[in-house]
Amino acid sequence: MTQTAIQFDRTFKRFSRGKRVRTLAELVLGWPRRLLQKRDAGGLLEHEFWAINDVSFEVRKGEMLGIVGPNGSGKSTILKLLYRILRPERGHVRVQGRVGGLIELGAGFHPYLTGRENVFINGAILGLSQRELREKYASIVDFAGVGEFMDLQVKNFSSGMYARLAFAVAAHARPDVLLVDEVLAVGDNAFQMKCYDWLAKQRRQGLTVVLVSHNLYQVGASDQCLYLNAGEVVASGSPQEVIARYQTELAASLVSRVVTAEGQRGMRIERVQLLDGAGHEISALGHDEPLRVRLFYDCPQPLTSPVFEFALIHDDVRFPLHVPNHHLFCAFSASAFQDVTLSGKGVAELSLDAMRLPTGIYRAKVTLFERDYASPLFVLDGAARIEVNHAPFSDGRALIDCRQAWSLPVEAKVS
Amino acid sequence: MIADLREVLRYRELVMTLAMREVRVRYKHAVLGLGWAIAMPLSLMLVFTAVFSRVAQVNTGGVPYALFAYVGLVSWQLHANIVNNGARSLSDNSNLVTKVYFPREVLPLAAVVSALFDFAVAALLTGALMAWHKVPPGAGLLLVPVILAVQLCLGTALALMLSALNLLYRDVQFILQVTMMLWMFASSVVYPIPASGDLAWLAWVNPMTPILDAWRSAVIGGALSLSPAFGVASLFSAAFLIASWRWFRRVEGAFGELA
Repeated sequence: MTQTAIQFDRTFKRFSRGKRVRTLAELVLGWPRRLLQKRDAGGLLEHEFWAINDVSFEVRKGEMLGIVGPNGSGKSTILKLLYRILRPERGHVRVQGRVGGLIELGAGFHPYLTGRENVFINGAILGLSQRELREKYASIVDFAGVGEFMDLQVKNFSSGMYARLAFAVAAHARPDVLLVDEVLAVGDNAFQMKCYDWLAKQRRQGLTVVLVSHNLYQVGASDQCLYLNAGEVVASGSPQEVIARYQTELAASLVSRVVTAEGQRGMRIERVQLLDGAGHEISALGHDEPLRVRLFYDCPQPLTSPVFEFALIHDDVRFPLHVPNHHLFCAFSASAFQDVTLSGKGVAELSLDAMRLPTGIYRAKVTLFERDYASPLFVLDGAARIEVNHAPFSDGRALIDCRQAWSLPVEAKVS
Repeated sequence: MIADLREVLRYRELVMTLAMREVRVRYKHAVLGLGWAIAMPLSLMLVFTAVFSRVAQVNTGGVPYALFAYVGLVSWQLHANIVNNGARSLSDNSNLVTKVYFPREVLPLAAVVSALFDFAVAALLTGALMAWHKVPPGAGLLLVPVILAVQLCLGTALALMLSALNLLYRDVQFILQVTMMLWMFASSVVYPIPASGDLAWLAWVNPMTPILDAWRSAVIGGALSLSPAFGVASLFSAAFLIASWRWFRRVEGAFGELA
């Protein structure tokens, strides 16, 4: 029989946006005013809001619950309620067994104490006995991979070493329910892999997990998923469905959020048109088909040597390739319009051959520079959207895909 | 209440660990190291000895003034450390309070234990001072656990209450500084509070005076008896501890948001 590990029963948590009474002086002086304050029908004062508004869910033992939602939607508040750091105003939160968190790593680490001393203190805070800690000490140090530094004060640790040691202690606390809040992004790649392996192993051994993450690939591995917005459950159920819904709403909010840096001297790109080879406006593109881009500019004053940039940005936060200062795809006119002067309204056209972009939905970002392209005259992010269709050649296994021919040439045959 | 007590007891190791962390951090950077625990009451004792045996005379009932003052200062120091460090224990550790769950009493209790550590070090010198002044120890030493227990009840009650108040209202610590100074001079720390006359009532409303007097009569006088005022102070301290802890339990749910 499967047992319930976590039960959230019609839970409400109230937060205050305004300033709270923080001194005895205020308490005494503000007393008459507070008497006059009235709670509204929902039980809220003027500056208050429900950070968690009537949330219910259940997690069975050994399951993983993934929570998604925009910033401020109440994800971390749920973890804090589960961790008993916060108490709900209404409703019940029940958790079976020991709760452990990869929430705030290294709580209680003291900079002036050595790594060794901190392991024993942090471990005690996480609920381990000193005897357990002595038994597990070697394993903790080994996991963190900071063996030779354990007698050093942690203020001299690098941030990576600090985080690894903190993770190692938390990993040895043997909780029944593990709360994870975006912390697996700790240390270098090798250590991150170790953390994921550790988590996967714990799950196989029946650990119940609640995971809050913006990395939807991680959340996708959960058994059930909760989509929160403004403290309320928008959707819950299978991770595929919930994430798809979150994706759609997120993408919609992204495209409506058109970012413009208002043109200097009134320079603007008014509209961006995406056309296929035949000149028809399109919203989907075969991954190896040509694309024509038309930029409708408006230059109230003459602009000499303009430079256009057209970038395509993968509009799916799940997409794992985001490199700072680089676009997945970008076309840059550089000196193509050297000494050309634009005046009034007109169109600049860009022809692109098969770009072979990874499948997905992209948004276009266009930028207009002057000759030295130091600072942009105009930026428009989210000017257009286009979906790049699935390329069938490698069965969806490749980000970069192309038509391919395989053979066994005669001369390569093994006799 | 019993379940609460059991939960706190389950975390006694954490209390000790955090207390030892306090002690380690405190002495790691002090030049004198552990000697600091002695230097504090010792230097105050020397100052007060200079003042009260040369400038103004006080009647210590035949006890050498240095010994009288030292015993008073060491036990007052214990009280002041418990109250001051206890009051700061939650706000100083807000990173723990907002991030990890454990019974919140652990932090003020750890402050009590770390203050006891200083007390133990400083108390060692009392023996040396008694030998120096040729004061023999008596049967009164048997009362030390009782007196200490009462003083700890009082101190812990204040530490619990003030730690929570200090988190709720940030001006508590300023009020506390002044109050503790006034309280010291209203208690028989470096001079006796007369048992009769205009100021006699001070011994009855202030539990620290009977406690300090009990320390002296037991340790220096060797007397195996306690005053009625000490009895009142004991009952008050025990009741105060229970009330303070219950209140602490009632408000602790909000600590995670306040710290």
